[in-house]
Amino acid sequence: MIKYLISNDVDMGKKRTKNTSRKTNKKGKTNFKFPVIIAIVAVSSIAFLAMSFTDDSSIDTSKQYGTVDTSLGSPILGSPDAPVTIIEFGDYQCPHCKKWFFDTKPIIVENLIDTGKVNLQFLDIALLGKDSVSASAATYCAEDQEKYWEYHSTLYSNQLGVDNGWANTANLKKYASDLGLDVDLFANCLDSGNYLPRVLKNTDVSRNVGFSGVTAFMIIGPNNQQDLIIGAQPYEVFKDVIEPML
Amino acid sequence: MSEIKLVFSNYKYVALSLAIFVGLLFPLLLISEYIFLEPYFIAHVYSGTELGLALIVIMVGLAGLVLPMNIYRIKMLQTSKKKMSGGVLGSMIGSAAGACGCGPVGFTVFSTFGSLGATASAFLTNYEIPIRITAIAILALTLYTTSKSIQKECHINLKNQNE
Repeated sequence: MIKYLISNDVDMGKKRTKNTSRKTNKKGKTNFKFPVIIAIVAVSSIAFLAMSFTDDSSIDTSKQYGTVDTSLGSPILGSPDAPVTIIEFGDYQCPHCKKWFFDTKPIIVENLIDTGKVNLQFLDIALLGKDSVSASAATYCAEDQEKYWEYHSTLYSNQLGVDNGWANTANLKKYASDLGLDVDLFANCLDSGNYLPRVLKNTDVSRNVGFSGVTAFMIIGPNNQQDLIIGAQPYEVFKDVIEPML
Repeated sequence: MSEIKLVFSNYKYVALSLAIFVGLLFPLLLISEYIFLEPYFIAHVYSGTELGLALIVIMVGLAGLVLPMNIYRIKMLQTSKKKMSGGVLGSMIGSAAGACGCGPVGFTVFSTFGSLGATASAFLTNYEIPIRITAIAILALTLYTTSKSIQKECHINLKNQNE
């Protein structure tokens, strides 16, 4: 996509340069202003695109676990070198995801993530309602201020149901303020809708994995072996699946 | 109480009741994520979800009582099928309450019913507990009216036999 944009920009620049040159020739004068301006615009566009691409350090475009593309997912929780990865597929409005977040995840963090055995990445399935999409997008706005996981926790702590107002835009901004984020920056990011394509892409990726419900986990071992855990299951199940992989 | 004894003195109705109880309980526990089948069978109750579980068991228990009693009333006493609808309605409402979009049927609901499914799922998720309580109330009312009906109709039948 970025390559396409760049080549388009360059092509357009070429065309414009060509047209401008023709006009100049007709007048019989050599006018360097237009080609120079166009060249500057083209170079700036390329530089801007390149910068916006490299600036987002959280996006690891090479991340592909088996059939799952996690390149646009959350930052990694835990050691990136951990032998086992849990990909959590979830919706911020899903009550089962909330149960797992409060009951199972803390034990996984304590016993497996903090010990360096496992890392975790969250991939959005923003399906349950319209506020699911904006809630997911809001987490990436928080990530811009390096508070992804804090905001992620705040959302689950405040979850009250589906599309009943707890995750509307005003509340999402309030949670950012409560977390001490730069609210103006956060609000600009959320209102711009910049991260909506990222959320929709993650939802597509998650749907293509072929789950029947929203709460699901993929466990990826050191040799890329994969196991699925469907539903907000207890710690014992995760332990039983992960330990043979270590 | 004597009406329940009367109906369930026939073992066919006990078997029917058990079939309804298990047939409703198992999918409801699965949909509500109290039991899981993969990677192996496991039952788990998260703290704070005990009320939901209790309501499911009460609802399914009532359905297991009400539906066979209504079938008995219709079959044995040749009465109208009107009161049967209360039991079916109560069971259906109560069962639907567990069909949250994030449960194992979520994607099926969304892909089959589209935005209507999503709206219905949001409603069923937000009002899960009140919907189950309503279902229990409907089933309890149906149990009461069915018992009264059996009591009355059996009494009339006995009277007729005596005459």
